[in-house]
Amino acid sequence: MRKWKIILATFLIAGVSSAQEVDYEEYDLDNGLHVILHQDNTAPVVITSIMYHVGGKDRTEGLTGFAHLFEHLLFDGSENIATGTWDEIVSSHGGQLNANTSQDRTYYYELFPSNNLELGLWMESERLLHPIISQEALDREIEVVKEERRLRYDNRPYGQLLPVLGETLFSNHPYKDPNIGYMPDLESATLQDVVAYNEKYYVPNNAVLIVAGDLDISKTKKLVADYFGPIPKGAEITRNNPKEAPITQEIRKKAYDPNIQIPAAMVAYRTPGFTERDARILDMISTYLSDGRSSKLYKKLVDDQKQALQIGAFNIGQEDYGMYLIFGLPVGETPLQTLVTEIEEEVEALRMGLISEKDYQKLQNKFENDFVNSNSTIAGIAGSLATNYMLYGDTSLINREIEIFRSITREEIRDVAIKYLKPTQRAVIEYLPGDKMDN
Amino acid sequence: MMKKLIFTFILTLGVLGAQAQVDRTKMPEPGPAPKIKLEKAEQFKLGNGLTVLVVENHKLPRVSIQLDIDNPPILEGDKAGVASLTGSMLGKGSKSISMDDFNEEIDFMGASLQIYSQGAFASGLSKYFPRIMELMADAALNPNFTQEEFEKEKEKLITGLKTSEKSGAAIAGRVRQALAYGKNHPSGEFVTEESVNSVTLPDVEQFYKDYFVPANAYLVVVGDTDKKEVEKLVKEYFTPWIKATPPSVQFSDPADAQYTQINFVDVPNAVQSEIWVENLVDLKKNDPDYLSASLANFILGGGGFSGRLMKNLRQDKGYTYSTFSSLGNNKWGPATFAANAGVRNAVTDSAVVAMLYEMNRMVEEPVSDKDLEIAKAVFAGNFVMQLEKPATVANYAVDILKQDLPEDFYETFLEKVDAITKEDVQRVSKKYLKPENARIVVAGKGSEVLENLEKVTFNERQVPIKYYNKYATPTDKPEVSATLPEGVNVQSVVDAYFKAIGGSEAVDKITSLKLIYEGSAMGATIRSEELRTADRYAQTTFMNDAPMMGIIAKGDELFMKQGGNKVPLPEGMKNDMKKSMGIFAEQSFASIPDVKLVGIESVDDKKAYRIDVPGETVQASFFYDVETGLKIKEATVVNMNGQTQNQESFIKDYQEVDGIMFPSIKIGSMGPQQIETKLLEAVINYEVQESDFN
Repeated sequence: MRKWKIILATFLIAGVSSAQEVDYEEYDLDNGLHVILHQDNTAPVVITSIMYHVGGKDRTEGLTGFAHLFEHLLFDGSENIATGTWDEIVSSHGGQLNANTSQDRTYYYELFPSNNLELGLWMESERLLHPIISQEALDREIEVVKEERRLRYDNRPYGQLLPVLGETLFSNHPYKDPNIGYMPDLESATLQDVVAYNEKYYVPNNAVLIVAGDLDISKTKKLVADYFGPIPKGAEITRNNPKEAPITQEIRKKAYDPNIQIPAAMVAYRTPGFTERDARILDMISTYLSDGRSSKLYKKLVDDQKQALQIGAFNIGQEDYGMYLIFGLPVGETPLQTLVTEIEEEVEALRMGLISEKDYQKLQNKFENDFVNSNSTIAGIAGSLATNYMLYGDTSLINREIEIFRSITREEIRDVAIKYLKPTQRAVIEYLPGDKMDN
Repeated sequence: MMKKLIFTFILTLGVLGAQAQVDRTKMPEPGPAPKIKLEKAEQFKLGNGLTVLVVENHKLPRVSIQLDIDNPPILEGDKAGVASLTGSMLGKGSKSISMDDFNEEIDFMGASLQIYSQGAFASGLSKYFPRIMELMADAALNPNFTQEEFEKEKEKLITGLKTSEKSGAAIAGRVRQALAYGKNHPSGEFVTEESVNSVTLPDVEQFYKDYFVPANAYLVVVGDTDKKEVEKLVKEYFTPWIKATPPSVQFSDPADAQYTQINFVDVPNAVQSEIWVENLVDLKKNDPDYLSASLANFILGGGGFSGRLMKNLRQDKGYTYSTFSSLGNNKWGPATFAANAGVRNAVTDSAVVAMLYEMNRMVEEPVSDKDLEIAKAVFAGNFVMQLEKPATVANYAVDILKQDLPEDFYETFLEKVDAITKEDVQRVSKKYLKPENARIVVAGKGSEVLENLEKVTFNERQVPIKYYNKYATPTDKPEVSATLPEGVNVQSVVDAYFKAIGGSEAVDKITSLKLIYEGSAMGATIRSEELRTADRYAQTTFMNDAPMMGIIAKGDELFMKQGGNKVPLPEGMKNDMKKSMGIFAEQSFASIPDVKLVGIESVDDKKAYRIDVPGETVQASFFYDVETGLKIKEATVVNMNGQTQNQESFIKDYQEVDGIMFPSIKIGSMGPQQIETKLLEAVINYEVQESDFN
C-alpha cells in the first residue's frame, strides 16, 4: 500500500504577495520514487524532470568524471526508444531537453507544450527502467566529453579556476577532483563500469520526479503510477565519503593558465555543506561583499581605489562541504598581494563588528527580490522543487527559504565570519598566465 | 458524499494494485494542441518620438523596464571603443545624484539598473517601480561624465581586452567579423588598445549627444503595473528628452570571398580549433523568405541536438561538444550565415570538410519530410513555450514596429510555419548558403593542424589557405613544427602503448614470446619466426619452408646465420642491437639514455609519436598512434661500410592473443618491394630450447 504524503503548501509569507506561492503535492511510490506535482495552467507548457542523487563525488578513485559521462550516455535510447532517436522524439513534439551534472546530483528534463505530458513521462520512465548503453555510444561520448573538457576548461581563459580551487581545499574528499574528470580517467571507463553504475544509482529510491505546469493533478497521478510504478526498487545506497581535517594554517599556492594574460588573486575557504544555516549566512556575506555597485569590495576596489577590474565573492554550495571564493582581477600593475590584503581588510571588518543596520536592510531587500524572481518560470520551479527535496531535505523551502534569510541576524553574520573566514583557514592562490605543467 | 469518497478510494486502490495500464512499447500520442492566446501590448508615443509599450502581468510583484534605441549601425572608426566607453560611463548617477548615492539606492531596493550606449534595462519589485523609472530616466538623460570616471573606464576596457587576448574563441569571433564585413564596416570593426587610447572625454560626450536620442527609441514596460501608471511616469520623466535624430554615416558594402578559402589564424596555446564557415546574406525579417530561411538554418544547425551539424560532428563523429549555425537578418544591410564549431586539434581538417559537406547538402538536396516535420514542430513548440514569459508579448510588439512586419505576423506565425514546403527550404538554402564563396575562419594551433588543413578539398578542388594575425591582417604562413602536447614523453608514449596492447602488468608477466608471420613475395612463401626472451633474440626467415637467413643475439654474441654458417656481426651493431632486446623493445627504452621522443609525424594519415633509438650502426625509429597508443610503424637505417640501407615496416590490424594485442599484419619494405605478412601464430611464454639460439 502506497503511503500518500500529501502536503499542501499554503504558508502565507508576510510582506510578499500571495502570487508568489508555489502550490505542490508530493508523495512516494512503492518503489521509493518521490513524486512532486505542481499545477500552473497560465501557459500551455509542462515540464517532466528527474533528479538523481548521484554526482561527480559518487565514484571510485581513478574514475573521476563518471557521473557526467554517464549522463551523456543516457540520451542514447531504451528498450522502447530506438538508439539515437531520443532528441528527435523530443524535437518532433516541439519540446526541449537537457541535463546537467554537479558534484552532488544529476538532473534531466524535458519541456513540452502541455499536450505532450504523457510523452515526457514515458521517456523519463524508459530512461530509468531500461536504458540501452552500448560500447559504441560509450566510445563516442568519451570523445564528446573530452571535447567538452577542452571547451570549458583547457581552452577557456580562467577555465582552470574551479579545478584548482577543488584540489587546493580538499585532499581526501572527492571534491578535490574536477566534476568533469581527468582525461586518462575518462578514457579508461569501461562498459562494465557503466552498467554497474546504472544498477547502483539509477533506481527509483534514489530519484525525485517533478511534473509541473499546465496539467491536471489526478490524471497526472494516474500516468505517473502507470509509467513509474512497475520500475523495481534498487538496493539502498550508502555514501561514505572521507572527511577533511580542518585547515588550520594558511595555504599558499600558484596555478598557471596558458589562456590568460591578466593574473587573478583567489582567496578561498572551506565552508560547511549547503543544508546548514551557516551556508545561507555565507550567501548573505557574498552579497554583502560583492553583489551590486555599492557592495563593500566592488565599491572599494573597482570604483574608489580602481585596483580591480573585477571582484567577486562566491559561496559555491555543495552537499558535504562548500567552497567560499573571493576572486579579483587586478587593474594594470596592481600586485595580487594588494588585492589579497584589501580583501582581508573587509573580511576582517566582518569578523570584528556588526554590519550597519542599513546594509542589513539592503541585504534583506536583495534577498526578497531574488526570491520573487526565483520562481518565475515552470522550469525554474521544477528545478527548485527537486533541489529542495533531494539535497536540502525539505520541499517546502520553495516557499519558506526567504524566512530563513529573514531570520538571520547581524550577530550571526559576524559569528559565521569568525568561524569560517579567518586568515589561518584560507588558501591564497595566485592564478598566473603560463603553461600548466607547473600546476 | 461519503459514498463518493469510498468510490474514489476504491478507484485509487485499483490503480495501485493493477499493473501498468499503458503499453510502454508504444510512444504516447500527443493530446489535442493547446490553445494559444496572444495578448496585445498597449502603446503610446511621446512628442519627442519615444514609443512606449506596456504589457500588464500581475503573476509576480515585479516590473521590468527596457529602453531600446534602434539607430542605424554606427561606425566608430579609429575611435573604436567610444560606444563601449559611453555605455560604461552611463548609469552611474546623474547631474543631481552622486554615483555612490545612486548605486546605494538601487542596491537598497534590491533592484538592478544598467544603461548602455544604445539602451537601458531595469527591474525590481513593483513597490519600487516609480522610483526605479525615475532613477533610470535621470541617469539616462542627465549623465554626469567626469574625467576621473573616464580614465578609470578606459583602463578597465584595456585590461578587459587583455583578458581575452589569448582566447581562441575571442580571436576567431573578431577575425571572422572583420573578414566578412571588412575592418571599416560597423559590423567588422573592432576595439584595440590603440583605438581605445585615442578616445577622449569630449569624444564620449559627442557620441552621447549624437546617438542617445529618442527618434528611434522604444520603451517597454512589463509586469505588475498598468498603462495609466506607466503613462503618468513616462510623461513625467521622459518628456524632457530632447527630440533629435542620429547623424547618418556612409560605409562601403562588404563582398563575399570569390572562392572557398580557409583564413587561418595561428593560436599556439590552443588545444581546440575554433572554426567558422561563413558567407554574407541579404535578409530582412520582413522578407517573405524569412521564415523558410530560418527553418532551413534550423535544419542545418539550429538549437538543441537535432541539427545536421550536431548529428554529424557530435553524435556520429565525436569531434566536438557543440556546433551550431546561424542565419542573421538585418534591415540596414548585409548579415551573415555562419556555422561554428570548436573541435580538437587532430580533427580540425575533418571537421571543416564535414561542415562544408552539410552546408552543401542543404543546397544540393531537398530535406527529408521528417527533417521538415521536426523543424516545424520545434518552431511551433518554441513559439508556444515562449508565451510563458510575459516579456514575449512585448518583444513581439516591438519587433513588429522595428522590423516593419505585418500586424498579424505573430498571430499567423504557426500557420505560416506550417505552410513551408521542402521546395521552399531548398530554394532559400540555395539563395542564402554559399559554400562556393564560403570563408572558413580557423583559429588554432598551426603546428598541429596546418599540415592536414592544407589537404582539404571542396568540390574536388584544393581549398587555398590565407594567413591572418589575430587582428585580421594578412600575414605569412606561421613557422610551425609538430610540437608535442604538454606532459608527453618517451615514458608516457611507452605506457600508452603497453596499455593499448593489454596493460603493463600483463606485458610484464611474459617471459618469452614466439611470433610467426607469413606472406608471399616473388612467387614464394615467406615466413618469419621471431623468438624473444628478456635477454635473447632469434629471428629466422624461411622461403618456401627452407631457412634462408637468421639473426641470433644472446649474451655477448650477435651473429647472422646463412645456411649452416654463423657470421659474427660488427661490434657496433651488437651494441645497437642490445638496445632493442627484451620481449618488447620498448621495455629497454627507460634504461637507454639517448632514446628520444622526436615529435609527431604522419603515418598513413594518422598522427604518430616518433621515438628514435640512435646507434652507431643502426638507427631505429618507432611510431605510435597518437589516438590509440598502438605502434604502427618501425623503421631502421643501417650504416655499414659506407653504405646506408633503409627498412620500414608498417604494422596494423591488432588482434588479441591471450590478453595481448599483436599486429595481425606487417607490411615490410625492401627497396621498392613491399611484402605483406600475416600473423600465423603468437605463443606467449613459449618454452624456449637452448637449440633455438644456436
